[in-house]
Amino acid sequence: MRVQSPRDLAELFEALQTPGAQPLAGGTDLLVRLRAARKDGVKPLPASLVRLDGVEALRGVRREADGALRLGAASTHAELLAHPLVRAALPELAAALTQLGSPPIRNMGTLGGNICTASPAGDCLPPLYALGAVVELASQAGARRMRLAEFIAGPGRTGLKPGEVLAAAIVPPAPEFQVRHFEKVGRRGALAIAVVSLSALLRLERGRIAEARLAWGSVGPTVWRCPEAEAELVGRKPTLAALSAAAAVVRENVRPIGDLRASADYRRQVAGNLLLRLALL
Amino acid sequence: MSPRTTISFRLNGRDISVETAPDARAVDLLRDLGALDVKEGCGTGECGACSILAGGAHVLSCLMLAAQLDGREITTPSGLGTPGEPHPVQQALAEGGAVQCGFCTPGMSMAAAALLAQNPAPTREEIRTAISGNLCRCTGYVMIVDAVQAAARKMRGDSGPPQAAAQTSRKKPAAARKKGGKG
Amino acid sequence: MPLPSPSTPPRADALAKATGAERYAFDSIPEGCLHAGAFRPGARLGIAHGRVRGVDAGAALSIPGVVRVLTAADVPGPNLHGIIHRDQPVLCGEVIRHAGDPVALVLAETPEALRDGLAALRADIEPLPGAFDAAGALKPGAPLVHAGRKGGNLLLRAKIEKGDARAALKNAPVVVRGEFFTPVQEHAFLETQCGTARLLPDGTLDMTLSTQSPFRDRFEIGAGLGLDPLSIRIRAPHLGGGFGGKDGATVQCLLALAALNAGGRPVRMAWDREESVLAGFKRHAVRLRCALGADTDGTLLAHDCDMLFDTGAYAHLGGEVMELSMEHACGPYRIPNTRVTGRCVYTNNPIAGAFRGFGVAQASPAFEGLMDELAAKLGMDPLELRRRNALAGGDVNGAGVRLNASAHLPECLEAVAAHPLWAEREAWRASAPAFTMRGVGVAAVFNGMGYGRGLPDMAIAKVELTDAGGFRVYVSVADMGQGNASAFALLAAQELNQPPSSIELVMPDTERCHPSGSSSAGRTTYTFGNALIKACAGLRAKLASRAAMPLLRDTLDGLALEPGRVVHAPSGKALPLAVLARFLPHDDRICVAEFLMPVAQDVAGKAEGFLIGYPHLLFAYAAHLARIEVDGLTGRVRVCDYLCATDGGRVLHRQGFDQQAQGGAAQGIGYALFEEFRLDAGRSTTGDLGTYLIPTALDLPDIASLAVDGCEESGPHGLKGVGEVGLNGPAPAVAAALRHCLGDAAARRLRRLPFTPERVLAALKAGGTARNRRRA
Repeated sequence: MRVQSPRDLAELFEALQTPGAQPLAGGTDLLVRLRAARKDGVKPLPASLVRLDGVEALRGVRREADGALRLGAASTHAELLAHPLVRAALPELAAALTQLGSPPIRNMGTLGGNICTASPAGDCLPPLYALGAVVELASQAGARRMRLAEFIAGPGRTGLKPGEVLAAAIVPPAPEFQVRHFEKVGRRGALAIAVVSLSALLRLERGRIAEARLAWGSVGPTVWRCPEAEAELVGRKPTLAALSAAAAVVRENVRPIGDLRASADYRRQVAGNLLLRLALL
Repeated sequence: MSPRTTISFRLNGRDISVETAPDARAVDLLRDLGALDVKEGCGTGECGACSILAGGAHVLSCLMLAAQLDGREITTPSGLGTPGEPHPVQQALAEGGAVQCGFCTPGMSMAAAALLAQNPAPTREEIRTAISGNLCRCTGYVMIVDAVQAAARKMRGDSGPPQAAAQTSRKKPAAARKKGGKG
Repeated sequence: MPLPSPSTPPRADALAKATGAERYAFDSIPEGCLHAGAFRPGARLGIAHGRVRGVDAGAALSIPGVVRVLTAADVPGPNLHGIIHRDQPVLCGEVIRHAGDPVALVLAETPEALRDGLAALRADIEPLPGAFDAAGALKPGAPLVHAGRKGGNLLLRAKIEKGDARAALKNAPVVVRGEFFTPVQEHAFLETQCGTARLLPDGTLDMTLSTQSPFRDRFEIGAGLGLDPLSIRIRAPHLGGGFGGKDGATVQCLLALAALNAGGRPVRMAWDREESVLAGFKRHAVRLRCALGADTDGTLLAHDCDMLFDTGAYAHLGGEVMELSMEHACGPYRIPNTRVTGRCVYTNNPIAGAFRGFGVAQASPAFEGLMDELAAKLGMDPLELRRRNALAGGDVNGAGVRLNASAHLPECLEAVAAHPLWAEREAWRASAPAFTMRGVGVAAVFNGMGYGRGLPDMAIAKVELTDAGGFRVYVSVADMGQGNASAFALLAAQELNQPPSSIELVMPDTERCHPSGSSSAGRTTYTFGNALIKACAGLRAKLASRAAMPLLRDTLDGLALEPGRVVHAPSGKALPLAVLARFLPHDDRICVAEFLMPVAQDVAGKAEGFLIGYPHLLFAYAAHLARIEVDGLTGRVRVCDYLCATDGGRVLHRQGFDQQAQGGAAQGIGYALFEEFRLDAGRSTTGDLGTYLIPTALDLPDIASLAVDGCEESGPHGLKGVGEVGLNGPAPAVAAALRHCLGDAAARRLRRLPFTPERVLAALKAGGTARNRRRA
């Protein structure tokens, strides 16, 4: 395998033209899979790995004109966590990043990697879905934007075209939501894959829920939304009774699978239960 | 066969140039170069035994390619300190009973040194978080956390009496540690 | 002789390890070595039991750098190894009996060529029906793991009996019963199984291994490959963890076979993590059915327990692990009538073997679970119930052994009872925040030391005066991380009245050290330490007397060994040890002594079925406390505080003692809450450290360790081994705390380890909501 180390976007797009080229972000997922593929003798391997870490245009955080935050896809989780704008404006994303992997994984892994891996358990995804994030895709032909929820097509599947990279996630900070919550249920305190996770945003008007955005991880092939449960909450105070009613709707609608981390039934139960935590906020 | 390439980096304060397959793993290259202080326990980023510092940041050499070392300042545990001239973290780990089988300890010293470079007075909880990517099967981590605190005090020049290992619980409810803040 | 002070220096190995300077077997990479790896096709093909129809090495051999592919046909000798029963092929030629069985061995010039060679190998394996649980494997018509074996899948059936448990249970005013399950546990040492080997021109097979049993390994290799065991030399540097999983042949026979076919080149083998999980030994999964009878005042009357052990595809130490488990099945209590039956069964699951706690960890949740059940039924304080029945010196234990040795469980329980964590347990329970439940539980545990009867537990120590006037201790038992090598250096320094810096250690080397058994069973420091003290005392006396001639003394009066010299105190004359060393021929500068562990003589119990092991005389004891919190929305259990009070005889090195207590408790908490080794038709679905979860630093509390002052007269300076007992406490202590949190009905549903969030949430749901506030 070749390894290409472009230093700017022009070199990056050039490198991506190589037949069999595969972008390499933090490597925390890709290199694990490549090791397994080599051990199992799986062919073909990528002909070339194209590093994204040297391309400055893919890194960093900045505020766009409309107030949305533009998070460079090659920014590491640790860089985003250390950024004051992320911490202040996107607390649920910060919470998710805090629990992602482990410190060295956070020093290596990137936001773009977490998005493009498109794992049902990707820790960044529920907050980004709840916030209505948009992704910016760049190639020699230029840049295009699409909603994250449309970009991710299924486990490991995205709308990324050949020759294209994820350049950034654009995240509206949604300051109008007073209740902001992220919870990850893992099997241990670090180095854990989410069994269920929930990102929740509640906008209150005169004590009643005017808008609810709920996004679960690890209960479906991609992040799962539940408009029925959101509707159940609207117009009610965020009491235990209201949240319990919404939790019942969640349990009725969610269709998780069982795997070695948890059964489908446990996921169904807990997907509902996590809503109750909002009663404490 | 992979094409070979020459990479140059700084290893424990020494400039080196080496010819390698660019897609070789960093851990293999470093061990081939004699840095047997870099261990390997899993190959998949789950154990932390292969921890090194790249530009001062704690990273895993089993999930890095040799090409990613190019141009970097790399520190391995033996670059942090030696038995004759140990880093305060290594000294504290040794004196504090934090070493049993010791196979995780070099990597642990990397995690702890990276933490103390950023945060000279970490809490026990912050230490636990900083070493949470480094598995230890022998110690239960208690003496490791104690030792990192002791090293921090020493590096701050604080010679006060050591705090006893906390008898009190970390009382935050399970959910609190997981919770995002309010907007 | 003064005892080492609490300010004894840190472990001699610690700084070299912390700076990465220590060289493990994993770091042995001889110049020009070949790399060997085993081909284990079952995992890839999804077959745990199958007939080997052929191995196609063509594609593998065409890969540049692949040197040889060996199969069963290349194995000289009987091709069977094992510690007690020789039933395990080095390479399988006819049948694979578990998913990790090897059918070929590849030698390659580089690790990359080895990897590609293994990937290119093909095996034709015809699936056979498998036996995947112990109960099923005993049913008539069950697939046979070892076809044609007399006894079928039943490796061993045994019984221990004292009094008449069945009659006493019938008449007991109060009886509690339960069925408990304990799972497979993976050792997950950070250094995987590894080593190097080279066939020397003189025919010696020279090996460096990560092993707990260097002396015994020679015989296992010799048996498997038809070699003279004494032509094999084994060195064992510091291990990167062992915990029982490196007791017996892992890489040993394969590496030896590779070296025999390497044309005199050195060969390295290091399993990767997946291979370690696939092919390494595990803790046995056990099903226990028990009944405990008591009087209305809580006095225990009878215990009946039936155990079913799944030993996997090969016997390994299955019978011996079950023996120790059965001996501990009735708990550390006075019970007049006991009956324990056990069956150890072959299946097509991974091979089970030794793991810290050696069967006792499996027995503990059951006997302690029934104690809590009994306390609830009697309305008694669970700690009080334990105090009332705890074994003390002079008592007869459940296996019928009179404890003519130190036994301080009552003091361990006192220490826990007096601790604020216990005293404040109801306040803790009442302080639970919303959606949360809190509780505190205790457990009493014990663990036998040494091999037990039938297998001499002996060590032989050698000490030598060096040319430079220092001392060399030949360490004959491996140091898997517990620090025994350092402890030996300290002991020798004490006994020889020398500074620790004058002691150098020779790590286990079958050519230079004397055979002294394995590093296991809490025996390492006890048995070898005793031998070492004797050897040092002998050398000390010898050197003092040998100095008489050069110091011109006509009697031995007043001659004494001092740091660096022999002194004649009355005259003030002294002879430096370096001079004395030159005065003496080499043979005379050495002292060798052995120690044989005492065995139980006064035994009231009857046992049948065991080859070796039954019974033990010496035990370490402990009382453990867990203070926990359960999240009612997810079922997640967090251990917030943990306390262990341990009777390990006299404490010689407090830090080392606490290391063992904390480390054992940490593995026990992993066993209780996190570690779930999942199998699907014999194939592991938790094959790496991302799916088999051991605790991180964020999953364990600060573990407090209390030492109960005791003295075991037979031990080195009064010490007993504490390496094992710490692992046995957490599972029952956490279970007791869950009972305190969730109530009795929920607790009865939590009899299968580990207590995963899923199991706890299910128990919570079924246990109802009234559970918690009842007694608050």
